[in-house]
Amino acid sequence: MAGSTNKTVYDIFQSMENGPAATSSTATAQAWLDHHSHSLGLFIDGKFVRPADRQTRSLADSKGGNVCNTVCAVQDDVSQCASSAVSGYKAWSGLSCYNRAKVLLRLVSVLGQHSKCVSELCELCEASCSPSSLVRLLQYYSSWAQLRDTLITSWTPLGVVAVVVSDDCSLYSLMLKVVPALAMGNSVIVVPGRSTAPPALLLAQLFVSAGLPAGALNVLTGSDMSLGAKVAQNPSISYVTYSGNKQDGVMLCKAAAGMGVPISVSPCIGATCPIIIFESADIDSAVDGVLETAFKKKKEVNWVLCVQENVLERVVARLKLRMAGMTCVGLASDADRVQVDAAVQEAQQQGATLVQSCAAPPSGALYPPTVLCGAAPSSSFVVSPAPGPLLPLMTFRSNTEAVTLGNHSPHGLAASIWTEDLTLALETAKSLSVGSVWVNSHSVSDPCMPVSGHKDSGTCTDGGQEGLYQFLHSSCSSSPPLPRSSPVSMDYTKFGTAASPAIIPDDSDAASAPKSYLQFVGGKACKSESGCTVAVQPPGGGSVLAYCPDGGRKDVRNAVEAAIKVQPSWMKKSPSARAQSLYSLAKGLEAKRRDIAVSINVQTGLSMDEAEKEVDLSSARLNDWAAYCDKVQGGTLPVPQSGSALSLPEALGVVGLVLPDKNALLSMVTLLGAAVATGNAVIMVPSEKNPLPVLAFVQVLQSSDLPAGLVNVISGSRDQLTVALANHSVIKAIWYWGSAEGCQYLQHTCTSPLKTLRLFCQEERDGGKDWTQSHPSLLEEMWRNAVQWKSVWIPTA
Amino acid sequence: MAARNPGMKLDLEWISKVRVNTQAVLKRAQQIQGQKTPKKQWQAAWLLKAVTCIDLTTLAGDDTPSNVHRLCLKAIQPVRYDLLRKMDMHDKGITTAAVCVYPSRVADAVKSLKAANSSLPVASVATGFPAGQTPLETRLQEVRMAVADGATEIDIVINRTLALTGQWEAMYDEIRQFREACGDAHMKTILAIGELGTFTNVYKASMVAMMAGSDFIKTSTGKEAVNATYPVAIVMVRAIRDYLLCTGHKVGFKPAGGIRTAQESLVWLTLIKEELGNDWLCPHLFRLGASSLLADIERQIYHHVTGQYAAYHELPMA
Repeated sequence: MAGSTNKTVYDIFQSMENGPAATSSTATAQAWLDHHSHSLGLFIDGKFVRPADRQTRSLADSKGGNVCNTVCAVQDDVSQCASSAVSGYKAWSGLSCYNRAKVLLRLVSVLGQHSKCVSELCELCEASCSPSSLVRLLQYYSSWAQLRDTLITSWTPLGVVAVVVSDDCSLYSLMLKVVPALAMGNSVIVVPGRSTAPPALLLAQLFVSAGLPAGALNVLTGSDMSLGAKVAQNPSISYVTYSGNKQDGVMLCKAAAGMGVPISVSPCIGATCPIIIFESADIDSAVDGVLETAFKKKKEVNWVLCVQENVLERVVARLKLRMAGMTCVGLASDADRVQVDAAVQEAQQQGATLVQSCAAPPSGALYPPTVLCGAAPSSSFVVSPAPGPLLPLMTFRSNTEAVTLGNHSPHGLAASIWTEDLTLALETAKSLSVGSVWVNSHSVSDPCMPVSGHKDSGTCTDGGQEGLYQFLHSSCSSSPPLPRSSPVSMDYTKFGTAASPAIIPDDSDAASAPKSYLQFVGGKACKSESGCTVAVQPPGGGSVLAYCPDGGRKDVRNAVEAAIKVQPSWMKKSPSARAQSLYSLAKGLEAKRRDIAVSINVQTGLSMDEAEKEVDLSSARLNDWAAYCDKVQGGTLPVPQSGSALSLPEALGVVGLVLPDKNALLSMVTLLGAAVATGNAVIMVPSEKNPLPVLAFVQVLQSSDLPAGLVNVISGSRDQLTVALANHSVIKAIWYWGSAEGCQYLQHTCTSPLKTLRLFCQEERDGGKDWTQSHPSLLEEMWRNAVQWKSVWIPTA
Repeated sequence: MAARNPGMKLDLEWISKVRVNTQAVLKRAQQIQGQKTPKKQWQAAWLLKAVTCIDLTTLAGDDTPSNVHRLCLKAIQPVRYDLLRKMDMHDKGITTAAVCVYPSRVADAVKSLKAANSSLPVASVATGFPAGQTPLETRLQEVRMAVADGATEIDIVINRTLALTGQWEAMYDEIRQFREACGDAHMKTILAIGELGTFTNVYKASMVAMMAGSDFIKTSTGKEAVNATYPVAIVMVRAIRDYLLCTGHKVGFKPAGGIRTAQESLVWLTLIKEELGNDWLCPHLFRLGASSLLADIERQIYHHVTGQYAAYHELPMA
């Protein structure tokens, strides 16, 4: 629009064009940056520090001008920061709930005073985030801070939490991790991305002026993801949580594997999300929604438009009319333009037709909003979306096909569905395997809505009350599950490939020949696919107690096939029906009390009395879980907008359990119950050392009325089976009791697709968890690990 | 000027399929209101455009030839000449789109305009305005008489009883007859959206009115409790778009009632531009029914030209 300011009133009167976009002032933010000489330090122990001799990283604004420089922290800074965070944790967690809530609320008023500075700085850094959304976040979580000890009893903060985000992550996503972590009494080390660094530093400063103790919130800036791994390495860190794009998240997971720190990932950037328009939709509103969200300059998700075939023409006609006046969207770089051109050209070669607001300018880092009609799930621009304002459009025939189409993606972040048919809306919302469903709306978020990315879109829940538990642990559970260590150098391809030792018993007396156990796959007791067995030895070794199948990849594959066949219908069953099945499982266990007790006695040498006690405790535990079935529930959420928001707990799907050695039976039923009560199917690997009680339990499973395939037991080499579980994409979660090396293997391997990992290293201390305890918070911790949350947002007038 | 909307056969199946999601419409309205309005010369140009789309209206019981005369002369010179001249707009034919009066004042208006050598159209409300609760025969007669007096645009009101009870066929027939009675005079159909209950009804009534051959659809009489609101307008312009897609005919849109500030007029223009495109930003397809709006626009233009805020008495009254 060069020379546009010379336009006369009459020119404009005739063309009725929009004026040039107003450039808003950034004077307040500039003044803050000037105060820091445009060179921001690290924020450690309540103040800015500028260590000498550090590299810096510069941040440019949209026009290429330098906004400021940030310091690239090194190992010394990380250590200094971590020790500050430890003392910050002491001070902060030592405050009363009331005082913590007060600090968060005071920040609200501090933000009010400096909202101009915050919003201008966000704009300058292109990390747009409205101060009002931060205010809402703070207000929401300050109420949880206030009521932590009242409503979340028997849970304690983790300690020092590291929040790491990628360069493209928004400030809001960053704060959605930081605020709940602080609200629960943790101290936080933030490792922001390039664009979020300046606003994060400013917010940290404001937090301190609101009364946050020094060290409770530190900010370390760096040059790339490696700083996140350096922070994770520090032994004071209890938990690392990440938000941003998938690739950087994977990089962080791989780098931090084996450090003995749990890591969760919320890949909120770059997921593919469907917008589904049914024939029953208010099509004009749906098209409005599409135009509002699909062509944003900063593309956080890749939308795919799915339209019911019989309204395709109406949708396309309206898109054409409404898009006519839209202007080109800026791209990040000329390189992006090349990619966009290539994608569009390829689409056209595959027969796609374009709906464009205007012809693409011959060159330059901008492109008009473009709908690529005639896309298919296999189109390359759908599979690997290009940057820029491109929106693939595909069609579906029926309501069920819409769900299939929407679910047929590795991602599970969100979906927007458009229909005026309430039943259809709710059915579709339930069937879509995504974290957020927006009915007749899009991109609505509120801190009170819990969202877990499904499938490859996340391993933790953010938002709502549910989002607090990643920053808490049961006060009854013993100290951290993983010992801190340095990653050992291991060859990940060799893990679990060692041949099992062949043990041939010395005495070949046919009468006392050791018993052969069977595993349990798809509802049938069977041998392993390979036909091989491994010997089970008593404590101390020497003789052979029994032979059990030597299961492997094929057995895991068969079990998963069987499990996914029944899991959806198990999840759909009413909670009380699930409860009845578990009650009857408990009854079946009571009926076989003696047999199972004998297996415990044989395996561990425990007296029959004590063995029977464990069996009794186990049936009681199953009864606990049966009773929990209809207690795990979502509800309606108190969103500020008018409408109904539902939160629904959903099963993860298929969960792999690598069971502990200790209390082999009791621990197994505890974990099995947690997973199955909440609607999951399980594939259990009994302890390699003490497999007999679990294998004896197979007879109970066989006579139970659980659907065939819901519970599978595969015995054999733990490492080998761990590898098999880790490399099956259907398995969404693995709960693992085993070696430190195994933990490292899983953290390193389970990244594509992401799996939710609960890792326990049982080498360290003898035993670890006390399975005989049944404190409510312990059971709650378990069932919370077994569900993912979906929020459904149905706005009304 | 493009051909008038000839109307079409009543398509009840189309009417029955209409779906409007209230909250989505409200949200869209908020979004449009939240958009930045033009500044500087863009603002001045847009405001002048708004002026040319105004149906300058007086619809009061105490209307007499003298205030109608004032209104007509203001309509011919809506913005002070010297102000227009500063923007080089004095010779661009800036007048309001029409004057709008009660049927009994049509003759007065026609006389005043003729005396001033102006061809500005005179619009008349008719058909038992504002309630429409008079017999069909008298409503038709009212239209014929207004046309005979020289009105070239007729703003009719629909029979809300028929709309609320879903008698779309009867409503269609009535409007058809009004259109016939109008002859060459353009017909604007007032839906009185404040009394239609739901957005879906607004959409359906808009559709029926267009099928029956309305040249414009208009929000309200200005006499109902709820007048021109942005969400309702979105529903109506969507219906216009829908009708265009199906028949190829462009029907005009006229919000009326409660539009008082220059800022509001800019939002209205933005709404039309966004939803229907630039084609509609002309008096043939867009009108603003208003009386006090013009004074505020003129003050804004005064401010644009002089940098000062005008007192009301500095600008000629209507």
